[in-house]
Amino acid sequence: MLQKPRSRGRPNSQAERERDWGHGAAEEAPSTSRGAGSSQEARSSSSQGSRRAEASPEVGPRSQQQLELKVAELVQFLLIKDQKKIPIKRTDILKHVIGDYKDIFPDLLKLAAERLEYVFGYKLVELEPKSNTYILINTLEPVEEDAEVRGDQGTPTTGLLMIVLGLIFMKGNTIKETEVWDFLRRLGVYPTKKHLVFGDPKKLITEEFVRQRYLEYRRIPHTDPVDYELQWGPRANLETSKMKVLKFVAKVHNQDPKDWPAQYCEALADEEARARPETSGPAPSS
Amino acid sequence: MTDVHRRFLQLLMTHGVLEEWDVRRLQKHCYRVHDRTAAVEELEDFINNINSVLESLYIEIKKGATEDDGRPVYALVNLATTSVSKMASDFAENELDLFRKALELIIDSETGFASSTNILNLVDQLKGKKMRKKEAEQVLQKFVQNKWLIEKEGEFTLHSRAILEMEQYIRETYPDAVKICNICHSLLIQGQSCETCGIRMHLPCVAKYFQSNSEPRCPHCNDYWPHEIPEVFDPEKEREAGTSRATKRSLRSRQH
Repeated sequence: MLQKPRSRGRPNSQAERERDWGHGAAEEAPSTSRGAGSSQEARSSSSQGSRRAEASPEVGPRSQQQLELKVAELVQFLLIKDQKKIPIKRTDILKHVIGDYKDIFPDLLKLAAERLEYVFGYKLVELEPKSNTYILINTLEPVEEDAEVRGDQGTPTTGLLMIVLGLIFMKGNTIKETEVWDFLRRLGVYPTKKHLVFGDPKKLITEEFVRQRYLEYRRIPHTDPVDYELQWGPRANLETSKMKVLKFVAKVHNQDPKDWPAQYCEALADEEARARPETSGPAPSS
Repeated sequence: MTDVHRRFLQLLMTHGVLEEWDVRRLQKHCYRVHDRTAAVEELEDFINNINSVLESLYIEIKKGATEDDGRPVYALVNLATTSVSKMASDFAENELDLFRKALELIIDSETGFASSTNILNLVDQLKGKKMRKKEAEQVLQKFVQNKWLIEKEGEFTLHSRAILEMEQYIRETYPDAVKICNICHSLLIQGQSCETCGIRMHLPCVAKYFQSNSEPRCPHCNDYWPHEIPEVFDPEKEREAGTSRATKRSLRSRQH
């Protein structure tokens, strides 16, 4: 059996520390966590000098290349995390990418946000003001034909999520879970039955969409049997709008959005509010 | 950098690896959405332009070829890291370790393939949560679905995606075990080898090197090249023939 020279001998504690990254990276951790981990590594003097362009943890002037690499790692981290549609916590960013560069974190984040928007067309936004969690918003409008050339499902702009968002909005921005299923049953979607396209619709709506912050799911107190209410989550407000959802509902009914005057007014007001200049950007509120 | 390029990048990222024909389709789609009137730039230039912007982010759109039939493929790869980073976010620790074990078996093997049995026998040595063989079988299938491995008759080799993304990492981690193609000097997993001097060549590299050569000889020791010379990949011919890619791939047998 051939000897496999493992030039990277990482102490076990290192692997432990990096377990959180993604679903737990082992020895061959991504450069992002290596960036953070290398600070510890340098102290135990086992850093891999052979690897090119590794961010040095030494305090003191950091080279242009080191900074560039840190921003690159941050961009990659944000892209990969957002792909899972899980909001990215600032603490995770600090832990897994920034590490010793904590003092310049706001600048790094700003640079990363700029690159993300210029290169990929993604805007880094805070989920809610002061929440210290971020998501990426697409500045490019999704187009129907995108579905033909993409390699994944994409953002659920049509389908079950849109239907639920539509239901919630049309019913006055909050709806009981029982009402949702009453409606979906008519479309052949049941909470207890496996669906060909959606899999487990109950899990999708009450867990997945909630985790992704598209929906909020709260228990209604003093209800027997227990009932829950569903509302738009912060991500829904960022990725779509009342007007877009109203247009979707209108299209489904083959009608005009103005056929629902109350909702139309509400959607218009929402559009006006959006048009006003934003007060909070992607810069961290440190 | 325009919206054409941005949409292209966004959509390219949704694929782990993409064949050239689909990349062209994607490019045309992006032009159609954002700039109908503009002439579609030559793909190579288009990609080079994007890569010059990506350089500061230590990523690039890399072009490679499938090892069995030489189809050009593209993937967005990370230059700053030499590890399995994209995989790291999709798989658990023990799953990544299973991949690593399979990778080592593949690199050490003579044919570039590792048998399912041999991989599964290493299940007890995995880091992280204990994994049963049955579970490991499913994880291997997950690797195939996500285009990290290819399965052929119960044996596994690296998908072109894995080769594109991990070549650097593999060459640095296994410098002694790694095989290199004598023609293109890139990482070689599957290929043909000279029975006399042992040098190796990718199948598509063999095809190109010995094209219309009736007496193929080893470029290193000049001995007669004993293997069947494959055909050079011709995208036009394939489309005309209308042969399904799946069928074509299964017709290719390993050369060793």
